[in-house]
Amino acid sequence: MAEWLSSLRLRLWALLRRRQLDQDLQDEVAFHLAMREDQLRRSGAINAGAGARRRFGSVTRIGEELREAWAFAPRMSSLVQDLRYAARTLRRSRGFAFVVVLTLGLGIGANTALFSIINAALIRPLGYADADRLVSVHEGFSQRNIDRFPFSALDFDDLQRYQQSFERVAAYRNVPFELSSGGNPERIEAAKVSAELFRTLGIGPAVGRSFSTAEDRPGVNVAILSWGLWQRRYTADPSIIGQAIQLDRQPYTVIGIMPATFVFPRRGPQVNGQPADLWVPIAFTERERAERASMHTNSVIARLKDGVSLQEARAELSVLAGRIAENYPPLLRNAGFSPRLSAQPIREDISGQFEAPLLMLLAAVALVLLVACANVANLVLSRAAGRRREFAVRTALGARQSRLVQLLLCEASLLSVAGGVTGITVAYWAVKAVPPVITRKIPGLQDVAIDFRVLAFTGVLCLATAVIFALLPLAALDRRSPGDSLRDETSRTTLASKKLRTQRGFVVSTVGLAFVLLVGAGLFIRSFAALMSTDIGFRPAQVVTASMTLPRTFYTTATSVRTFHASLYESLVALPGVRSVALATDLPLTTYELRAFTPEAASIPEGAQPTTHLTWVHGPYFDTLGMTLRRGRFFVDGEHVQNRSVVIINEKLADLFWPGRDPVGKRLKWGIAASGAPWLTIVGVVGNVADGPIGAEPGIHAYEPFRQLPELFLDGAVNQFGRDVKAAVLAQGEPRALAAAIRQEISTLDRELAIQNIELMDQQVSDAVAPQRFSTLLVCAFAAVALFLASVGLYGLLAFTITQRTREIAVRLALGAERRAVMRMVVAQGAQLVAIGLTVGLIVSLGLTRFVASLLYRTNQYDLVTFLTVPAVLTAAALIACVLPAWRAARVEPLTALRAE
Amino acid sequence: MGEDPSRPADLLQGTLELLILRTLATGEKHGYEIAEWIHVASAEALSVEEGALYPALHRLELRGLLSAEWDVSANNRRAKYYRLTAGGRKRLKDTTASWRRTSAAINRVLQGT
Repeated sequence: MAEWLSSLRLRLWALLRRRQLDQDLQDEVAFHLAMREDQLRRSGAINAGAGARRRFGSVTRIGEELREAWAFAPRMSSLVQDLRYAARTLRRSRGFAFVVVLTLGLGIGANTALFSIINAALIRPLGYADADRLVSVHEGFSQRNIDRFPFSALDFDDLQRYQQSFERVAAYRNVPFELSSGGNPERIEAAKVSAELFRTLGIGPAVGRSFSTAEDRPGVNVAILSWGLWQRRYTADPSIIGQAIQLDRQPYTVIGIMPATFVFPRRGPQVNGQPADLWVPIAFTERERAERASMHTNSVIARLKDGVSLQEARAELSVLAGRIAENYPPLLRNAGFSPRLSAQPIREDISGQFEAPLLMLLAAVALVLLVACANVANLVLSRAAGRRREFAVRTALGARQSRLVQLLLCEASLLSVAGGVTGITVAYWAVKAVPPVITRKIPGLQDVAIDFRVLAFTGVLCLATAVIFALLPLAALDRRSPGDSLRDETSRTTLASKKLRTQRGFVVSTVGLAFVLLVGAGLFIRSFAALMSTDIGFRPAQVVTASMTLPRTFYTTATSVRTFHASLYESLVALPGVRSVALATDLPLTTYELRAFTPEAASIPEGAQPTTHLTWVHGPYFDTLGMTLRRGRFFVDGEHVQNRSVVIINEKLADLFWPGRDPVGKRLKWGIAASGAPWLTIVGVVGNVADGPIGAEPGIHAYEPFRQLPELFLDGAVNQFGRDVKAAVLAQGEPRALAAAIRQEISTLDRELAIQNIELMDQQVSDAVAPQRFSTLLVCAFAAVALFLASVGLYGLLAFTITQRTREIAVRLALGAERRAVMRMVVAQGAQLVAIGLTVGLIVSLGLTRFVASLLYRTNQYDLVTFLTVPAVLTAAALIACVLPAWRAARVEPLTALRAE
Repeated sequence: MGEDPSRPADLLQGTLELLILRTLATGEKHGYEIAEWIHVASAEALSVEEGALYPALHRLELRGLLSAEWDVSANNRRAKYYRLTAGGRKRLKDTTASWRRTSAAINRVLQGT
């Protein structure tokens, strides 16, 4: 204890009296040397001073060791010293430092940016308690090829009643509301949710309370607000609790406000994936509970009981599905309606579809960083070769090898930290530059943040890059004695080629990596081109669309809805510059209703049960959107008056159920054969239209005139089926110019009606392929950077060898070698590296492309065009990189070069 | 960044410390005297790099086994004199005992008895 104290006292003294300590250490050594010198002189030595120093050993090293021993925190002082020295050295070679920091900054920045996107979409917690115990449950009717479908109210009731695996289950669905109190009428995205939902998620309101089970029934109008809506529309006034707000022109009492971080539903799933600003009880009505296999609109989320695994829950669900099926009327069951149930972690439901493309991009950008590291490593190596003399001198002066390593590491970490800081800045701006059409689609991307996970990732990247570009060159540094190095340096013999092995290795690997990235880019370009050349089945040019939802409470009767349709149609058609107008429940690129039907006199394929998408249209829908008529005719005005119900089907439906026959004149009806629905006569067949992601196989589709929509459908006031209005307006000239006029006409009809959006159809098509365009662009950018870096690396290496071989080249030229031969020699040297790189790249690419195969559209993973173009592009770039140094080598003036020695 | 094992100071560090403690048992000395004393007492068999003595001395001082004081030497130069502390004396006793045991054991092995 006493010893420890005295040590601390001494070190403190040393820390405070640094100058005194230095003086003491010097004096003590000087005293020893003087005493020894005296003694040697007395014994008759000739050079007593030198003898004393020889017997003492390295004064520098001993001095350093002593100072290290006395440092307050041992080693720190030498580290600080090295850092200072490294900073000074780097300041002297600004060009080198700039290039390294920029290269690393771009590499690290691109990685950080992509990682922060992945973090937001796939890693960051969802903000629910124990989110990994939450699963989403889906229904499916395999005989009807319906997979991962929402629940109907009755099936959800059964699930809730029978299930044993879950602590809680809750249903929810997105509904738009017209909010008309506290400001201008506004269409807000809301969700109807089970009272159990918030307890299932494990998150309660920040202010007020959540729904009670008693409130989950029709006629109770209560609402919970999101933090954002509360701040925005009600200026965060807490007295809003208990007050009424107007939703769809009816009063709802606000009972709670959710915390700011709460987002539900999450973006990502195809249905019910719109973050809500407001929640109301789901309150299933009698009408919703009236029949099976109808109104499947509710998504279901459930929390696994403690100790129950997902597998066990799935096993229970498959048994449970059979019990639910028994509750179906036999007629329905025989017609292919027996539900299946499936469950998956909610994370998978939300962002599962983005995982593969994002990880592919991360892999690509990691390759770019590897290329950057290899280039920086080569720069460091070239610089180290120039500094061999400096190191030799330092070693000769007594610096230990470990100290040199420490010095080099200090330089490397300074560079990589600077690179990391640059990288984070680059990432910050890069993420901001991601277009909103992408951020709208990928979950979590609305608020990408540089959080601690991203910082940790960048930190690890910095460390890894420092290791790659500092330690590898270090390992390659020659370990010869300082004397040899110094002699070598002064005599300037030609550089033995084997010493460049590491550098050549780096160049070969950059060429190989660039090859891989170029192949990726090539495949994506080909895939995107194939996607763009698919026939979408309609003409989006010059079409502008507007969408709105009629509020339930104001448009109570079918007549009121039809009157709105008729008036809107008339007023839009009358606008100047309008060629034609159509109103519909949904437009191409989306689907709306899915219906079971029974075709008359059709050959139903084995195992298939007829189910089709359905669109209700008003006005010349097919003409306005430029769809093609294959057979029969389009709807004509006044058709409904003849009391003869009609329907138009798409080619796919026709081919499937009446193959080789003319379906015009045949009939079909909604529901199963025994249903009371009227028969509809097929009057026409239209071409298939893209009804989902572009490139996906279009589904079976039918179209019915809106005037035929049954009264019952609109009277129920259960959901918004038939209340969603999409107007498509074909312009004579510039469609954009019509937007203001359309908006004006709608608000003239109903001043309170909120318009969801007015968009160009062209834009919607372009948005539909935005993710593919985005990832193609990114991969191309990565490949371009890699190609550039690989060329620069090759150029750098050749230029460096030529500097080292100037003397050799001069001798050759002096002895009569042709300049062309010298050029050939240099180019051959480069070509050899490129050839190896190409071979390596080809082999690696052939092995790797299968990982992207699933992301490609109608493009073979071994696409010949790509695999032929890539080597050509790489070779061309490499040739340019070789020619410049070769030309310089050929211009060496033998006399000047030799005299310089 | 470990110590380089080929350096004599590291190899002999334990031994060197023992020798320093033993040397100072006879009274306070400055560095040069310690070096000379070790040199002579070992009958010139142990010849270490003289500089290596100082890091060892300073480490012992920092560990509180030695105390040091600046004074004027016989020939009127400023010199740093080292002397054993109580801890140093105890350490010398312990180390000497264990060294004796070790060397006795080695001797037995070498003599094969």
